Amino acid sequence: MTHNHPTIWRNGLWDNNPGVVQLLGLCPLLAVTNSAINGIGLGLATLLVLVLSNLAVSATRRWLQPEIRIPIFVLIIASLVTVVDLLMQAWLAELSQTLGIFIPLIVTNCTILARAEAFASRQPMARSLSDGLAQGLGFALVLIALGAGRELLGQGTLMADAHLLLGDWAQSLELRLLPADWGLLLAVLPPGAFIGLGLLVALHQRIQRSQQPMNENPADGSSQAIDAT
Amino acid sequence: MNTSQPNNPKPGLVKNLLVLAVIGLLAALTLTGVHQLTEQRIVDETQRRALASLQQVLPPEAYNNALIDDYFTARIAGLSGAATIYRARFDGTPVAILADVVTDQGYSGDIRLLIAVDVSGQVRSVRILDHRETPGLGDKIERERSEWITQFAKRSLGDPPRAAWESDQRQGAFDTLSSATITSSAVIRAIRDVLVWYQNEQDEIYALRSEAGDGQIEAKDGRE
Repeated sequence: MTHNHPTIWRNGLWDNNPGVVQLLGLCPLLAVTNSAINGIGLGLATLLVLVLSNLAVSATRRWLQPEIRIPIFVLIIASLVTVVDLLMQAWLAELSQTLGIFIPLIVTNCTILARAEAFASRQPMARSLSDGLAQGLGFALVLIALGAGRELLGQGTLMADAHLLLGDWAQSLELRLLPADWGLLLAVLPPGAFIGLGLLVALHQRIQRSQQPMNENPADGSSQAIDAT
Repeated sequence: MNTSQPNNPKPGLVKNLLVLAVIGLLAALTLTGVHQLTEQRIVDETQRRALASLQQVLPPEAYNNALIDDYFTARIAGLSGAATIYRARFDGTPVAILADVVTDQGYSGDIRLLIAVDVSGQVRSVRILDHRETPGLGDKIERERSEWITQFAKRSLGDPPRAAWESDQRQGAFDTLSSATITSSAVIRAIRDVLVWYQNEQDEIYALRSEAGDGQIEAKDGRE
């Protein structure tokens, strides 16, 4: 399989998206996506960690013998997550309060370890950077789509509490699309997350299939998922 | 028999250890650096947030002492854990206490409230600091989501009488959030418990020395 930059981006954003194809990092994906802004916040934090960890792993890949690579990956990822957590506590205190435990828990997001193992430890830094950005953005987009959908159905708003991430000017970003007494409780509760993600996966598969010629092997999409692990 | 390299460690072992050590050292250095960089800001942020939440229940012009440093901890009957009691004074004259308390009677987990009680024993204002009540139902206790929490302003133990400090779904005098009787009742009772504690202890409250540990007083057990 070739690893040129367009393929890397296509994989991260669509063909091999960590959220709806690889189904990695489900714990944060399902737990914090009850609003669009939470999705953006966690998405950006994960993106940052993923890019930095891909770069660090790729930069040190020459010295990483198979026996010690996993401890090294864990060491690098854990340090980076702690750095991001501290930075957020200092400069995005409100948002870090809202996202709570899920920032430290980025460390358990298998997307990051998977990219370190499957990609960054075998590829030069420029491609690893691309891969980190593409996969991180792909993950963030799923978080945001799910967060926005659940927020809209559950509270009738979009981008509520945007000031937690962007500062006070962003309070005006809140859009109320449905009346204030609207609220589909199910969407905000945990089952809403599972149902929402299920729908996103189904939508992705439907589009994926409609783009493929009829005679092609229908398992093609999943073969790429295996390729990454 | 073991013939090859009887006394030497595996080739590469030393190198691997070295790589691990160097990367570990780099990680430790980075973390130390970032910690140094952010430490002061995180402390400041925490302080600012605490002060901001205090100001939700008591406007800054109502007092002129260092509110955030003028506190003690106490146990209040009916509430879980130790409550932090801040004391607001204007030129030394008592104005109000701000009780940071936790009740465990919520529908799902603890509810943390900040309750301001005037020197006369009247509720000044109440805000919810933290909770895990059901979104869409119980979370209407938040001021951002509904007016419900404002109904306690200016109420006291005589108004309504103590026995009527309950949700109206349970023969009390206060509005109940629809489909959230347990949540409503937990909040109402927490306020009542603070008022009862205040009534019993009010002579000592403003005289106690500040700072946790120095001024522990136990709530009297005389409930009813």
